[in-house]
Amino acid sequence: MTHAVAVGARAPDLALPALVETADCPRVIAFVHRWHPGADGAALRAELRGLGAELVVVSGTGVWAFGPDDHAERVALLSPRQLATVGARFGVSGRGEAVFVVDEHGLVRIAHRSDAGLAGGLADAIAAAAQAMLADSAPAGMLDRREWNLAALVSGFAFVFLTGCKPRDRAQREAPVEAAALPEGLAIELDVNGKVRALRVDPRASLLDTLRERLGLTGTKKGCDMGQCGACTVLLDGERMLSCLTLAAMAQGKKIVTIEGLAQGDELHPMQRAFVERDGLQCGYCTPGQIMSAVGMLAEAGDRQLTDAEVRHGMSGNLCRCGAYPNIVAAIQSSRPGRP
Amino acid sequence: MQPFTYVRARTVDEAVAAAGSDTRFVAGGTTLVDLMRLEVMTPRTIVDISGLPLDAIEEGPTGLRVGALARNSAVARDPRVRARYPVLAQALESGASPQLRNMATVGGNLLQRTRCSYFRDGVSACNKRAPGTGCAAFDGYHRMHAVLGGSEHCIAAHPSDMAVALLALDAIVHVRGPLATRTVPIADLFLLPKDTPHVEHTIGANELIVHVDLPATPFAAHSRYVKVRDRSEFAFALASAAVAFELRSGRVGEARIALGGVGTRPWRAREAEAVLAGQPPSPELVKKASAAALEGARPRKDNAFKVELARRTVARAFEELLVAQDAKDGGGAR
Amino acid sequence: MKGDIGKPFDRIDARAKVTGTATYTSEIGVANAAHAVIVGSPIARGRILGIETAAAQQQAGVLAVLTPANAPQLPGAAPDPKKGERVLNVLQDDRVWYVDQPIAVVIADTLERAQHAAALVAVKHEAAPVDAALDASIGRAIDAGDLGPNGKASSARGDVASAMATATHRLEQVYRTQIQAHNPIEPHATTAVWHGDNRLTIYDATQGIFNVRDVLAKRFGLEPKNVRVISHYLGGGFGCKGSPWSHVVLAAMAARAVKRPVKLVLTRPQMFALVGYRPTTIQRITLGADARGKLVALSHDTTAECSRFDRFVEPSGLQSRHLYSCPNVTTSHRIVELDVGTPTFTRGPGATSGTFALESAMDELAYAANVDPVELRLRNHATRDEDEDKPYSAKTILQCYAQAAQRFGWSKRPMKPGSLRDGGKLVGWGMASVTYPAKQRPAAATARMLADGTLVVQSGTQDIGTGTYTIMSQIAADALDVPLERVRFELGDTALPEAPLSAGSMTAASVGVAVAGACAKLRAELAPQRRAPDEPWAAVVARSGKPEILATYAAVDSPERAKYSCHSFGACFVEVRIDPLLPLVEIGRIVAAYAAGTIVNPKTTRSQYIGGLVWGIGYALREVSVRDPRSARIVTRDLSDYHVPVETDVPDLEVIQVDEVDRHVNELGIKGVGEIGMSGVTAAIANAVFHATGKRIRELPITIDKLL
Repeated sequence: MTHAVAVGARAPDLALPALVETADCPRVIAFVHRWHPGADGAALRAELRGLGAELVVVSGTGVWAFGPDDHAERVALLSPRQLATVGARFGVSGRGEAVFVVDEHGLVRIAHRSDAGLAGGLADAIAAAAQAMLADSAPAGMLDRREWNLAALVSGFAFVFLTGCKPRDRAQREAPVEAAALPEGLAIELDVNGKVRALRVDPRASLLDTLRERLGLTGTKKGCDMGQCGACTVLLDGERMLSCLTLAAMAQGKKIVTIEGLAQGDELHPMQRAFVERDGLQCGYCTPGQIMSAVGMLAEAGDRQLTDAEVRHGMSGNLCRCGAYPNIVAAIQSSRPGRP
Repeated sequence: MQPFTYVRARTVDEAVAAAGSDTRFVAGGTTLVDLMRLEVMTPRTIVDISGLPLDAIEEGPTGLRVGALARNSAVARDPRVRARYPVLAQALESGASPQLRNMATVGGNLLQRTRCSYFRDGVSACNKRAPGTGCAAFDGYHRMHAVLGGSEHCIAAHPSDMAVALLALDAIVHVRGPLATRTVPIADLFLLPKDTPHVEHTIGANELIVHVDLPATPFAAHSRYVKVRDRSEFAFALASAAVAFELRSGRVGEARIALGGVGTRPWRAREAEAVLAGQPPSPELVKKASAAALEGARPRKDNAFKVELARRTVARAFEELLVAQDAKDGGGAR
Repeated sequence: MKGDIGKPFDRIDARAKVTGTATYTSEIGVANAAHAVIVGSPIARGRILGIETAAAQQQAGVLAVLTPANAPQLPGAAPDPKKGERVLNVLQDDRVWYVDQPIAVVIADTLERAQHAAALVAVKHEAAPVDAALDASIGRAIDAGDLGPNGKASSARGDVASAMATATHRLEQVYRTQIQAHNPIEPHATTAVWHGDNRLTIYDATQGIFNVRDVLAKRFGLEPKNVRVISHYLGGGFGCKGSPWSHVVLAAMAARAVKRPVKLVLTRPQMFALVGYRPTTIQRITLGADARGKLVALSHDTTAECSRFDRFVEPSGLQSRHLYSCPNVTTSHRIVELDVGTPTFTRGPGATSGTFALESAMDELAYAANVDPVELRLRNHATRDEDEDKPYSAKTILQCYAQAAQRFGWSKRPMKPGSLRDGGKLVGWGMASVTYPAKQRPAAATARMLADGTLVVQSGTQDIGTGTYTIMSQIAADALDVPLERVRFELGDTALPEAPLSAGSMTAASVGVAVAGACAKLRAELAPQRRAPDEPWAAVVARSGKPEILATYAAVDSPERAKYSCHSFGACFVEVRIDPLLPLVEIGRIVAAYAAGTIVNPKTTRSQYIGGLVWGIGYALREVSVRDPRSARIVTRDLSDYHVPVETDVPDLEVIQVDEVDRHVNELGIKGVGEIGMSGVTAAIANAVFHATGKRIRELPITIDKLL
């Protein structure tokens, strides 16, 4: 006999001896049929961090428990009967899947069950739960399409069964707005590393912040946000430029290449390989900018072999505070075939 | 950054029509986006002109015509610019960083704002940023500031290298307004701060620079830019000199000397030019001319060294130019 | 044992760094994180009368504006200024101690909104007169008392005054050093996540996760075990990330206030104002020597600036106590409290500013006594530490002088300044001795052999770009005879065994000994269970029926070490080239030799050395944070006005790694290499400038105006 768990009520005990009950930490309890560590990867962990919660996954592959910065550890293996018993305590039937957010006082804050299973994966379900938690206090922000979808799903979240979050790629693309300042932001399309990404941005948003904060491309670094360090260098239509002084809206229609777009799968770009071999880096923070700048510089030079002095001159817009400069020159010079 | 309306202009007319006192054009973004983020500039509308067809470098009626949206790097590497106006290529090449040169445009470079840190900090007294609040640099730290053309209201140095070269080339700036296009000789473009340091140039809020003409003067091809700064690259000038003259039968013909890093605007040193004109080159002449170039300098405590430094910079540019022309003439000119 | 120690392996984390997948603090995915922006005080001293936040609060997306009027009182214990804690007491009262001090923090859903809202916060204040110039206030100098981790502020042996009376050569000079800002390219960043009311996770760009943990636990009245600090990659530190500053507390406070995670990243101008700096010093050096240049007396008196609210003393005089043999030596350190932010450790603390003074003075003595500068140092070589009255654990400086001088071609150097030219340029050759202490602090590590043969080694240390991931993996691979690629070294998490700050060049020694110890312990446990001498460890673990076999080891200084004076040494030779008309100093070349005990990885070590040299170039020639004495605000507050060296400022640098076996410093013979590259180089540059021009510049940096 299953019965629903009420929002605001005390969460049922999982009654798993291997699971140390930490009363002072929020917890997401998820019931899914099959789950493996790494299944939702970084997105899942980001959602857990956002909630400040640990995750307990009760699944046919076992019970997994971990914080967002821990390795997923299997704390128990349950027989189908045990699984059903635990599920029943939470009102989850045999075929159903569910997500519960339990606060540090042990009270259920969010309860979401779906007899048809969680569409969009566990990370999206937890994301929707997090949006619902925020819904009271947070004003509507500048959301991308996936976030809009999630936000649309969260109203009354605790009371309705979620039929599934639309995965982001299924979102319909709208025509970009050419010249407007919509109150909710500019709809733009960016061609990044060969993929067109549609999103709404604050007209004030730089290309750099858009890459880092919105598109998850954090390889491009923010060092000064004033065009004075070169850490944010990207290629725009093949030319090296600073993404911190480029408004995202102004990068439309250009082919944007970031450090993430350089390697071919596992095969490093020759410049990347050269930086590894010559130790052209230490802390690594200026490194993506150095590499993008070096790639841009060699493209500018065409077939011409640059002298060391020319390389130094051509790289003078990229500060390296660790002082890897001599190794950077060596790396760039060795990146071309026919050079030692 | 203050919220603004972003408008993308598809034609020059559309851009000009969208212009106004609370509106700024943006192309490379290297000055505007930076200063907007610092809230030193707070336009309500920005008009993106980067897509306008104004980036050509082509033959014009009087010489080369450079589009306002030509990137600094494109101008610097243009073979015609390098051969016929070397001072311009050298000035551009010495400015900022390779990335910034790929972004910055000719028009934006001309109208870039000072690097005075009291102007940029958003807090200090600054007549340029907040008219009437005073000038924190005047009795503050002003090592980078101007020794020429300042007033008690402002001693901020003009930061452009390119504009100094254009001054030495007698460039003509073409400006499109709502009604017509007009031309502005570069020497008339920039204003002294006097008691209105926030008014920096003679281009109206509803005018757009469309291109710059580089006249084919006899001295343009014989020109040189020397820049002195605190590190070997990627720094604004402590002092720079654009020098142009042609040697004719062992004498200096018509000459141009313009200074950067030391003036509140790109500084044309007409007195120094007069000293040179018609004279046979000699170390004494150079000394006289470079002294004349700094005539009227009013240094303050931290930037007093700039007077001597600028003199030396002029001398170096002159010498290098002489050597170059000497070499061409097989050493006969001297 | 299989010889992984000493091999130039590629940096293990390099692949992640060149592909952009290395995740630095502000990049760690935290869903729904809000953005916080600090509002700084426009005045350096006085009181906040009121803060107008209405305009900011009306902006879309603004979640909260915290000011002293509404910020929660921190429940933790009273701050200890000796530990630099008063800076952390943010928004607790209306007092202003330094300009740009955080007086409000704006939290909004996006960065753009938070930034603009912060600009709308208006402050009413009552300003008090400001005192922000060391020179003008040197009359107020007070004895520094102690140097924190560096011991006593003063030292004395013999009788300097009497010895000076007998000296043939007497030299007394004052040397001045400037404010240097660390300016790692990664700005300070903190993301704070609360788990309920009593548990906190902090993702922080820090050189010391445990220090951040302890400080936050104290400030927020939490159990240290309930604060978890994570820092997997650090985009440079150099000292400013050695201790938590105001923004770390603000991020945690803000996250609690808005009940969601908060990310706070400093702006570049804030990097000049809120996170310490190498302070201005005025150093008086007195040298007395006999006719041959042998020192008979030396005194080194340092006065450095400090804030009025927390204590940091730049320890410039330490090397002068022991580097040379001299019977009569005094050193002292005084501070002047100013209306400024508190300075802090900066790469090569003390040694960088201190060797500029001492080694410049030694060069001046060489000229006074007409003795070659290298020869002068040989004549004053100390075979034991005369200050601590102990033998050195190892001191291989003579080989450093010899090898570097030979490689540089020093024997061809004419003594007379201004006598070398190349084309139109003046050429100068200068040198200096180099030294830095070899430190070690307690550290622990766990080594875990998994059933698949992976060796996981864990220690809560940091890799600040120094190569910790790589060298610890090498030490572990070596100890257990496993291939390097089967080792996974984990760091940067307070859930791991405790390790010290990554600072003071002590990580390689401190954590290295712990890692070696844990691995040795694990080996001792595994080895007897082997069925054959070469049986893979994986088989042993598999047989045990356990998922892994592990061992933990806590390392401390050996008693042996206490019997010795432990330092690294080196010698630095510099060529400068100066255009006499436009005298911007260019570095022609540098040859430097270092002896620092066991070198785990010569490739990453060379990178540390050249990094130090580049820093030395910056400090000697380019970098200065200029403070406007009227406002106490740093005027050169961005990377355009503050000149970090660029690629063209740095020639190819030649580093000689001199073999040295140090049997006393610790079990592995490791001394550490992070700071020593900065020692001496600044003086060597200044000495080369003198040799080129005949001008002795005693105030850094040596900018073009000083040579006109």
